[in-house]
Amino acid sequence: MRVIYRYAFLTRASHWVWAIAFAVLVSSGLQIFNASPNLDASDKSDPARRVLAIDAPADGVGTTTVFGRTFVTTGWLGWTDDGMGSRGPHAFSAWLTIPGYQDLADGRRWHLFFAWAATACWLAWLISAAIKGSLRELILRPSDLSKLWPMQAYYLKLRKEPPPHGTYNPLQKASYTAVLFVIAPLVVITGLALSPGIDAIANPLTVLLGGRQFARLWHFAGMLLLLGFFAIHTFQVATQGVVNQMRAMITGWYRVGERDGAGP
Amino acid sequence: MNRRIFLASTVSAAALAGCGPIGSALNENAAVKSALAAAEGLNHLVIGTRGMAREYRDRDVDRNFRVNGFSTPSDSGYMRLAAGNFAAYRLIVDGAVERRRAFGIDELRQMPQLTQITRHDCVEGWSAIGKWSGVRLAGVLDAVRPRADARYAVFHCMDNDGSGTPYYESLDLHQARHPQTLLAMRLNDAPLDPEHGAPVRLRVPTQLGYKSAKWIARIEMVGTFANIESGRGGYWEDQGYEWYAGI
Repeated sequence: MRVIYRYAFLTRASHWVWAIAFAVLVSSGLQIFNASPNLDASDKSDPARRVLAIDAPADGVGTTTVFGRTFVTTGWLGWTDDGMGSRGPHAFSAWLTIPGYQDLADGRRWHLFFAWAATACWLAWLISAAIKGSLRELILRPSDLSKLWPMQAYYLKLRKEPPPHGTYNPLQKASYTAVLFVIAPLVVITGLALSPGIDAIANPLTVLLGGRQFARLWHFAGMLLLLGFFAIHTFQVATQGVVNQMRAMITGWYRVGERDGAGP
Repeated sequence: MNRRIFLASTVSAAALAGCGPIGSALNENAAVKSALAAAEGLNHLVIGTRGMAREYRDRDVDRNFRVNGFSTPSDSGYMRLAAGNFAAYRLIVDGAVERRRAFGIDELRQMPQLTQITRHDCVEGWSAIGKWSGVRLAGVLDAVRPRADARYAVFHCMDNDGSGTPYYESLDLHQARHPQTLLAMRLNDAPLDPEHGAPVRLRVPTQLGYKSAKWIARIEMVGTFANIESGRGGYWEDQGYEWYAGI
């Protein structure tokens, strides 16, 4: 067994800042979504271009309409827990929102504060990683593409050995590159496009996204993609030596012999 | 392995379900509240009021512009004004000004008129496009000449929240003098109707909708709004919403 210093301080610190910020941003974002639980593929609100609508058409009934198809989702979406001991017309349950009751004003404050925190942390991490050169180990390169399937095959136990790779395996590089350099920036940009102040400064950005309501739709979709990454990421941590992985992300030291070749 | 997955998913699920209650508890904490409030100053500083809100074409307009906010005033004073087509209406502009004025609706109509087709973005998330006509707030301010100690324009409105607390809003002088900040008297080529804020409402297309106060009775120029209602510069601000509503 070999012990390597795998995660620099700033990587570990930003990892945990992002973990907290992500939890707050998703739950306060759902709080904000609840104030107007529709997503339109348009600039102004337009029921004719509605992609998602979460509704309570009658007392005790919750529905979710996706691309015009309506599903009854009572208890899950539309008619849910209000955080005050009963159920009511709330798109997402109060258990999933910050604060844990309907409060758009404070939900917005949580959201905008942690949006700054997560973005500042991303910039600090990016600058430091670029200076130290550690970005090179992380970013997916064309030469990694042919190794993606062999790596997946290894995960699926169809292959005994992982393909040779550096600090991060090709699948890790692919997902980290997608999250850090595509999805997260997209979520920030689509969030900024929702601001009437930013829109007055950079309207072409909003136009490029298809309009303000469309930006809201992209913002929500980006959140779902990040949730998907989060689910796979935590699953892999849980199944590939959770103690070693968690210890490494806290202290920086990773035990290579203990379980090699894989990672979150 | 299965036990680990079970453990991890239980912990994750508990953490997610805990967001609400933990968030609620933290939300009541004064230190957390003041820390979160830091973001507003940063947003005001970084985004501010720059540039111009996009102007749209006639065919983009919502003919049935969404009605939101408090109920239309139904007190006898407002009803009388409305019954008389607002001929008796006076927009009072006073406070820290050199020349306090009361503008009749015809006086306002005789001032240079501006028409803008802009998008109204509600803090709730929805957007609607309207064609607004009226006078630039800057023109009205020029007529009363704010004194050097005037820092904010406070808009006192004729509506209230149903329990008697009046609606009001405020802008700083920079926002008030923005070329698109309008005292609107027409919507979609017709005189403003009572539901949309007749006879005079504010339009601030560079900020969220709650800044665009309806049913304005008086504009008071002040050095500080700390002594007005709960002191945060507006009805919704007093309920916890940001005074800077550019995001």
